[in-house]
Amino acid sequence: MAILEANHIVKIYGDIKEDRTTQALNEISLSINKGEFIAIMGASGSGKTTLLNILSGLDKPTSGAVTIAGEKINEISRNQLALFRRQQLGFVFQDFNLLDSLTVKENMALPMILEKKSSADIDQKVQELAALFGIEDILDKYPYQISGGQQQRTAVSRALVNNPSIILADEPTGNLDSASSADIMECFETIVENLASTILLVTHDIFAASYCQKVIFIKDGMIHSSIIRESGREEFAQQIIAELSVIGGRKDVF
Amino acid sequence: MSFSQIVWKMAKANYRKYIFYYLCNTFAVMFFFVFSTIYFNRQVDEVKISGSIQFLLMTPGVTLVLFTIFFISYAHQIFIKQRRSEFGLFMTLGMTDRDIVKLVLLENTIIGLLSLTSGILGGTIFSRGIFFLLMHSVGIGQVAFHLSSNMFLYTTIAFAIIFLIAVGSSLYHVFTENVIANIKSSKTAAALKNNSPIIGGIGAAFIFISIIGVYLTYAYSNYGGELLFIWAIFTILGVYISLNQFISLFIEFVKRRENYYYPRMLFLTSINYKFKHLTTILTLVISLVMITILYGTLNLSIYSMEKKDVLESKPYDIAFLQTETKNNLDQETVYSIIDQEDNRIQGYQQIPVYTHYERMEDDNWLVSYSFMSIESFQELTSISYELDNNEMLYFINSEFENNEQEEYYQENAYYFADENLEFTLKEIIAGNNINYVSDSAFFIINNTDFEQLESQFDGYKSTIHQINVEDWRETDGATNKLEKNLLAYNKKTPPIMDERTEGSTEEEFFKVDSKIKAFQSIKMENGISFFVMTVLSIIFFLGSFILLYLNLFSEIESEKEKYRKLHAIGITDKEVKQAVTKEIRAIFFIPAIIGAILAFCYFISMMRDIGGVMANPGLLLYFGGITITYLLVQFIFYLYARKKIIYKLM
Repeated sequence: MAILEANHIVKIYGDIKEDRTTQALNEISLSINKGEFIAIMGASGSGKTTLLNILSGLDKPTSGAVTIAGEKINEISRNQLALFRRQQLGFVFQDFNLLDSLTVKENMALPMILEKKSSADIDQKVQELAALFGIEDILDKYPYQISGGQQQRTAVSRALVNNPSIILADEPTGNLDSASSADIMECFETIVENLASTILLVTHDIFAASYCQKVIFIKDGMIHSSIIRESGREEFAQQIIAELSVIGGRKDVF
Repeated sequence: MSFSQIVWKMAKANYRKYIFYYLCNTFAVMFFFVFSTIYFNRQVDEVKISGSIQFLLMTPGVTLVLFTIFFISYAHQIFIKQRRSEFGLFMTLGMTDRDIVKLVLLENTIIGLLSLTSGILGGTIFSRGIFFLLMHSVGIGQVAFHLSSNMFLYTTIAFAIIFLIAVGSSLYHVFTENVIANIKSSKTAAALKNNSPIIGGIGAAFIFISIIGVYLTYAYSNYGGELLFIWAIFTILGVYISLNQFISLFIEFVKRRENYYYPRMLFLTSINYKFKHLTTILTLVISLVMITILYGTLNLSIYSMEKKDVLESKPYDIAFLQTETKNNLDQETVYSIIDQEDNRIQGYQQIPVYTHYERMEDDNWLVSYSFMSIESFQELTSISYELDNNEMLYFINSEFENNEQEEYYQENAYYFADENLEFTLKEIIAGNNINYVSDSAFFIINNTDFEQLESQFDGYKSTIHQINVEDWRETDGATNKLEKNLLAYNKKTPPIMDERTEGSTEEEFFKVDSKIKAFQSIKMENGISFFVMTVLSIIFFLGSFILLYLNLFSEIESEKEKYRKLHAIGITDKEVKQAVTKEIRAIFFIPAIIGAILAFCYFISMMRDIGGVMANPGLLLYFGGITITYLLVQFIFYLYARKKIIYKLM
């Protein structure tokens, strides 16, 4: 069953009348099923972040439609979208997006608080996720008191508190060192395995992408190709490198 | 592209920061200048020497200076905080200290001079507008707007000093901190310091003690004015300390009750953060609110009490003293002047008195003894009393409100007379029945004795004239005419140069005492006080508003960032609006309410002086009225700020 469906997404920046436009996305269609763990890769400027923003409703496509969990998100209002995001989507950002004035626990609880869940429910969920991601000890710390890896794990936990249909991650390892990156990607693996969630991440990090089950490659605003992981991670990484070199990325990443 | 071109380009790109800084300085200069147009105003100056206005101007004056010092250095801090990271970058790229000093001085000189010019210009217009408005609305026609060199001079000097200190201190910081700290300076400020319940408690204790102090000072000592200043400093210090700690402590406490805390978490944490960073500003705003409300109330109270006092102390509408050669208009003439068709004379008393003067041996002090016949006394007071020869009553022409004073007079009155006069005192009577035109106390003796006085003592015969009309408010023209006539008469007779006019003038001694003139003089003096207070209140109000407003706007970028993050995790516009509204409401009204409460505590304590608030319930109405007006105006400004900020954030 497709949890996310994108049909013929076109995104054009600039004023069409004045003919000074950039076509960021060109007729992209994709479909993601429940329980999938997919990465979208592409060079800088290939349109991958634009795609993610459109899939999450943060940005509107010029034409085309996005359906998530049966809801056509480009047909609902800005406010309904916000509600939809906090109920159906989990978001993980490159720069973590944690609020400095809140503790780790409070940051995690924020989407539940916005949903006006009871404090007992909140506490239970926070404890459960903190245990899952090993951040129980830092629950009362502030974001500026913990490491980048811990911040991102907090952000991942926050993305999960409302049991979203799908988690969208934009370069989740972009601001992390390799050890922390591995940490986060293992978190994602845990999520997919234990919670049967769906994850879509946008990255240019081959190491991160190698954790996924499927990688979709974008070039110049169009889907270029995709590969599916059938064996171990290292082998899959080699496949990704090979594919990247085909679409014009560099071969010698190591 | 040369280095100076790069600097210029950066300045152009960051023009908002410069404008913010420039506006702050302009406001500071403006406030100063408006204050000096009042302080150095000729008419205000005249009243200043005589009246309570000196005291009235003192405290707000000091507050204004402190406020301006803070205001400028605060604006400078915000400005330099943003600049420091740039300087740090310049320094890593090899800019020397000398270059930085040159850059800072150049920038600040230009901004300083521009601010001074536009501040004085704006101040002139603003002040002129206020003068115009108040003259027409309150009817204080005598305070005219004018400019003098002192106004410019003091404003310029004060601004220059404060400005230089601010610039100097931030240069010091740029050079004493290392380069990395400079680069990161705009980020490190976000970290919160630890909270301590004990320190918060000390702050609360400061406030509590200072208010008790004010109460005791006014209840039991005569040093109200001087000590008040010290207590005020204590209060403000206490406010600062507790503001810094209490919100955190409160949140700490609330956090344990999650059902309450979670729904308000965003609001509470954000307020906590703001209060920590705005402690100084909020303290200042609280002080300004407190001073504005307190002084407004006191001013109004003093005015109403003085008015009441003066009118009550004059049992008759018009009175004057007449002797054979002075003020000697016959009754017909007086009637023709005072008695108007629409304002008839209701009563006219003429009371003969006889005044004897004696010089004290030890200090050369001149003492007067005024005598009145029992017949006149009866006419005055409707008290009938049989007096034999050589018997007397001692009449004190005063209504005593408190017993201590009366006791004092009861105990001492007799001795004034004892040594010199061979009369037996029968009773001391107090009452307010005569306008103060001759003496404040009288020996009442029987008619036979009174007629024989002339042969017993040297003294002066005179007659007290007292007139009542239908409405004293309509006696302005008649009183003026009477004064003119009397003066014309007195000019024709030889001047009086004896004990009676010692230490005074003939004119003063024979002056007409009238309700209307007393009322007018109080109205004028208090009118000017009222005017001064109103202007200061406006300055303070605008000052506190601008402080809050500028602060909210200086943080608008990080707020935007915060709401962008929240938006991404799914906060709706409505929820953002609610959150922003709550926050701005707290920032605008918590200080106003704390300030009003403190003003109330001070007011209650200071009222001890005149027998407590319960004795003067009307004054509470003034307090209430002023507070509500303040909060209402604040509310309008709050609506404006909220609209602006929500617009910027969305």
